[in-house]
Amino acid sequence: MGDLLSLFINSVFIGNILLAYFLGICSFIAVSKTIETATGLGFAVVFVLTVTSPVNWLIYHGLLAPGALAWAGYPGLDLSFLKFITFIAVIAAIVQAVEMVIDRYSPLLYASLGVFLPLIAVNCAILGTSLFMVERNHTFIESVVFGAGSGTGWMLAIVSMAAIRKKVRYADVPAGLDGFGFVMIIAGLMAMTFMMFSGITL
Amino acid sequence: MNPIKKIFELLEYDFSDAGKFAKLGPLFDATKTFFFLPSPKNKMGPFIRDHLDLKRYMSFVIISLLPVLFFGMYNTGYQSGLARGETLEFWASFLSGAWVVMPIIIVSYGVGFFWEILFAAIRRHPISEGFLVTGLLFPLTLPPTIPLWQVALGISFGVVIGKEIFGGTGRNILNPALTARAFVFFSYPVTMSGNVWVAGADAVDGITGATALAVNAEGGTSLFSTLSDQGFSLSNLFFGFVPGSIGETSALCCLIGAVFLMVTRIGNYRIILGGIAGLIITAILFYFLPGTKGTWADAGPLYHLCAGGFLFGISFMATDPVSAPGTNPGRWIFGFLIGFLTVILRVANPAFAEGVMLAILFMNVFAPLLDHLVMKHRISKRIPNV
Repeated sequence: MGDLLSLFINSVFIGNILLAYFLGICSFIAVSKTIETATGLGFAVVFVLTVTSPVNWLIYHGLLAPGALAWAGYPGLDLSFLKFITFIAVIAAIVQAVEMVIDRYSPLLYASLGVFLPLIAVNCAILGTSLFMVERNHTFIESVVFGAGSGTGWMLAIVSMAAIRKKVRYADVPAGLDGFGFVMIIAGLMAMTFMMFSGITL
Repeated sequence: MNPIKKIFELLEYDFSDAGKFAKLGPLFDATKTFFFLPSPKNKMGPFIRDHLDLKRYMSFVIISLLPVLFFGMYNTGYQSGLARGETLEFWASFLSGAWVVMPIIIVSYGVGFFWEILFAAIRRHPISEGFLVTGLLFPLTLPPTIPLWQVALGISFGVVIGKEIFGGTGRNILNPALTARAFVFFSYPVTMSGNVWVAGADAVDGITGATALAVNAEGGTSLFSTLSDQGFSLSNLFFGFVPGSIGETSALCCLIGAVFLMVTRIGNYRIILGGIAGLIITAILFYFLPGTKGTWADAGPLYHLCAGGFLFGISFMATDPVSAPGTNPGRWIFGFLIGFLTVILRVANPAFAEGVMLAILFMNVFAPLLDHLVMKHRISKRIPNV
């Protein structure tokens, strides 16, 4: 239990998927204009990550990993080179399913998320989490916690970015930097403050 | 007529929009308001209660920093004397310390004002007094042995990226002085962390040793006896006769500054008290954690309060009105979490012995979010308007 808790804290703060590994920057920059949409997208990412990470774990360790197909009579088979395309397909499928469920049961949230919900499918944080999960040899339970933790860290970063962008709405930015350049500088400053956790081992 | 006023009136046309030095207009304005009150005054009501403008606000912070500054100069000289094996008397310590500290401050002010004036001239905004504080706070957080070019580089980053990109004082999200220090800290860790810095200990290179926060007792002895063996007794830490960054060593001087800021209501007492409460509660929790004997987890609240730069940071850095939250509950939470994170970093992070700088910057990032949550909570408490 303590291990799982430290894995969760580790993936939220120390190895923040956004500000320590710089994954998922595109939607982080594009959707952080208002706090409400940022929170909505954050929850969607948490949900999708918590689901895709264990599903990809099952697929990888059940079908793709070296020797995983021993039960079907192919103990020497190594399909792990297929993991990229498989993971992306799984993510896209799950995002589609989530989209349909939200559309059916909460049209309001569906309308406010708009185009950003399908865009989660191409959010690199999602694929990155699945790949990290394989690389670090997590167990099944750990993959669930790792997915939830990465999603929470991503949501924390995008919500605080949205709050900062609300605060700097009246900032007098030099003309050439206005817009995304300015947001990238804020993101860099945020990443610098998140470096305070680098070096902590849990 | 006042001769200084005469000079200003003589030059006024040249620096106005039609004059030949129009670009340097902001510099002229800043110098003039330094000597004289701005002339446009309200002749009729409504009147404001108190003439607390940005200039007075910032000069009060400078006043509150004076004890820390003078003690820092004295202690720098005193420590370098100790390292050479001689105990200097008061004035000798002070002068030799000032000889080390003054160049750092001059470089910080000089380079910082260069950027400030450049941006003010090109972007046509007035020069802000905020830099007077930033330019003094930054050197006080540095070790006395820092190379001057690193001071120049750090303050450039702090002023340009930390503040001027955002459009100047009042619009930044992080404390510019801390941004500058964090930049130097991460870029040149060799000169900034790990060891104690004593200026001029040797003609060739300074002596090095562990800072108080990097000391760990070995072999079952208590942390306190190990600390006092190395000169870090609680009274030394409180009064500040220990090596360290220029301004941070004396808890007493920081407290004097903090009380001054709280009494004049320049620094918000909620942040300072919240921070001290957060530090004390977290330190007590760690104190009762088993199996930590001899490390800083075992140190207890008094040592955590007096060692390192916590009091300096919470009094002068965290109370920056721009980068701190604007709502009162937000300020309590902000301060409390700074104290909490400081202890967590000191105890759990072997990479950085001191955590208060990064804790404040980290909470600066979350200050707008705290404000948002507080306001949302308030709105939800309203009686529905139907």
